[in-house]
Amino acid sequence: MAKILGIDLGTTNSAMAIMEGGEPRVLENQEGNRTTPSIVAFSKSGERLAGLLAKRQAVVNPKNTIFSVKRLIGRKFSDPEVQRDKQWLPYDLKESSQGGVEIKMGEKWYTAEEISAMILQKLKLDAEAKLGEKIDEAVITVPAYFDDSQRQATKTAGEIAGFKVRRIINEPTAAALAYGLNRKKNEQIVVYDFGGGTFDISILEVGDDTVEVKATGGDTHLGGDDFDKRIIEYLVQEYKKQDGIDISKDSLALQRLREAAERAKHELSTALETEINLPYITSDASGPKHFVIKLTRAKLEDLVSDFITRSIDLVREAVTNLSPKGAGMKLEDIDEVVLVGGQTRMPAIQEAVKKLFGKEAHKGINPDEVVAIGAGIQAGVLQGDVKDILLLDVTPLTLSIETLGGVATPMIQKNTTVPTSKSQVFSTAADSQTSVEIHIGQGERPMMADNKTLGRFILDGIPPSPRGIPQIEVTFDIDANGILNVSAKDKASGKTQSVRIEASTSLSKDEVEKLKKEAEMYAADDQKKKEMIEVKNQAESAVYLAEKSLRDAGDKIPADIKTGVEQKIARLKEVKEGTDVQVIQTATQELSQELQKVGQFMYNNTNQPSQEGGEKNPEGGEEQHDTGSDSNSTSS
Amino acid sequence: MEEDIKNNKQEEEKSEEKNGNELELCMKKCDEYLDGWKRAKADFLNYKKEEGERISELIKFGNESIMSDLITVLDSFNLGISLSNDETAKKGMMLIKVQMEDILKRYGLEKISVEHGGSFDPKMQEAVDEIVSEYPEGSVAEEIEKGYVLNGKVIRPIKVKLSKGNGG
Repeated sequence: MAKILGIDLGTTNSAMAIMEGGEPRVLENQEGNRTTPSIVAFSKSGERLAGLLAKRQAVVNPKNTIFSVKRLIGRKFSDPEVQRDKQWLPYDLKESSQGGVEIKMGEKWYTAEEISAMILQKLKLDAEAKLGEKIDEAVITVPAYFDDSQRQATKTAGEIAGFKVRRIINEPTAAALAYGLNRKKNEQIVVYDFGGGTFDISILEVGDDTVEVKATGGDTHLGGDDFDKRIIEYLVQEYKKQDGIDISKDSLALQRLREAAERAKHELSTALETEINLPYITSDASGPKHFVIKLTRAKLEDLVSDFITRSIDLVREAVTNLSPKGAGMKLEDIDEVVLVGGQTRMPAIQEAVKKLFGKEAHKGINPDEVVAIGAGIQAGVLQGDVKDILLLDVTPLTLSIETLGGVATPMIQKNTTVPTSKSQVFSTAADSQTSVEIHIGQGERPMMADNKTLGRFILDGIPPSPRGIPQIEVTFDIDANGILNVSAKDKASGKTQSVRIEASTSLSKDEVEKLKKEAEMYAADDQKKKEMIEVKNQAESAVYLAEKSLRDAGDKIPADIKTGVEQKIARLKEVKEGTDVQVIQTATQELSQELQKVGQFMYNNTNQPSQEGGEKNPEGGEEQHDTGSDSNSTSS
Repeated sequence: MEEDIKNNKQEEEKSEEKNGNELELCMKKCDEYLDGWKRAKADFLNYKKEEGERISELIKFGNESIMSDLITVLDSFNLGISLSNDETAKKGMMLIKVQMEDILKRYGLEKISVEHGGSFDPKMQEAVDEIVSEYPEGSVAEEIEKGYVLNGKVIRPIKVKLSKGNGG
């Protein structure tokens, strides 16, 4: 099925998302960025540009670079807003024959819809290039305060761009959708949207399957760009104080200052202090000048505090003023607060909002993308992805099998989506072992005794052979209903045994939490215990291998080598029952070194290369474990 | 007796009809499930492909932000070299700059070149001002900040001043 594109058509920047595998995904544009400037231009060389390329020539081509067209779309030319914007927009506007707005770009006059369509068309082409398929349908977001004519004009823009516009949805609704708040019942939600150039507040009421806009507010000429300007102004002033030079006229210096200011603003969202370091910012008769200044978060907050205060006042008004100026509610009536727009990353804003409502706002999703993500989710609902989504369960805890020394060896890790199946080959722990016990457990602790036993069974009839030789394939298979089937198969004899466990995923939430908490609590102790067992297992293997080598070599090796190895074996046997990891490890290592003498001697004294050296890894790289809780071994 | 037979026949017909309906329902479900399964499988394969692409992109551009930050150090070197009057210091700075450029080049960073008088290309360049110059109007008159490409992606366009013509 063809995908529907969710588009956040912003005043300053736009973004797009689709639903993929039940999850929204933000698409990058051709330039590799996740947001696209909402700018189009007719370049001096006669080319039509959209997005970042249009922005890059805006300074030298202001008359033919159209930005902020969202402020004009669907409005009458006589609208006071249009008249106000006309004062500062650098491009030409005129009244169309229907009383709407027309914009001059190049030699031609375009409607606002046509300009918006050029942005949408770029997004369409970029999305198609990214996905490698045609996209004909879209969901486009608009501010909650847009009237019918503005919504219709936005829809028309989409159609001009070649989309069938499936739905126009409100930006705050999209943001609420991205956080899944549409599923709440009878809640009042405030969406605080501090974008690059505009500040919007919306108060939403979520009912049964409906989201109603109760009130809107904000300031269409307040945004993150104002914050940047303030920082730059401050830095220019400070430099003037420091060196007496005005760098606001030096385009290179200003360029570097702008970049440094933006970087500092971002950094101060996580750090309390940052240093702006611009060597060789300028020069005068006395030589080159540098600019180094520390900017603290407190200073930044001080510089822009009036903007924040104003935004909070506007929120209070929108919530508490009586209709139609506000929602006529009390601040404590608000159940959820959602933050949208890059500027809301600023801790002071998050704090101010929290203080106003007395609760934490939703802010987990990238605030620049949250509206596009919501639009993508709405698109997913329309294309049927979300409604018919097949809910797959996950295993809440790790499922393991007990191996030598009581260690829980994980077969299926926690949070694995089911249905799934995993197989691993194990072997025996003792010579001539004819049966193994498969002990299945659930939990995060490394020792099986600390986890919950789900079941156990015995696979017998294994032909007697030295330890490590039999290959027992254990398979864990969980179906979509959470039913676990564990089977063990001896590859040599083909004998199979299995067990079916019904309740592998149906633990209560409390039980799962308890087990997880326990695992965290005992993590350090458990790790030590596991290490101890592993070291002991290694020691046992070393003893076994050494004894076997001596047996195989028989009288072919000199007595001194034999005695040396025997002594080391005795030493290791003695210490391996103790609890000192270091001592056991040293003794194991010493035995291995001593044992090498046997191998060396054998090689030097046989004409033909011996086959015995290959014994260490008989499985050709396949991972093998010894199943521990076998009927012949003494392990627990 | 006759009635019994008739009743039996009716029941049989009913049961057949029921079986037919059930079969039809089952077939429908079967088709639905098969379709769902195929879709899920296709979705997974597509996801794997896209994930692979995403991972290779990540490897290619994983160091983009550190590259962007290091570029500013190169800027400072360039300015230092052009403004310094001390020849020895200048040479030292030059060598350090080249050393750093070489390292960054190894990780895929390339400098964008520009030609004075050449036509403006917004794909690689960003215009920050216009000045009177000997070059044709609208062409690049001056480079004010170097631009860089990382593995084919412009991570900073070259900042240029465009020509207004010679003002005459």
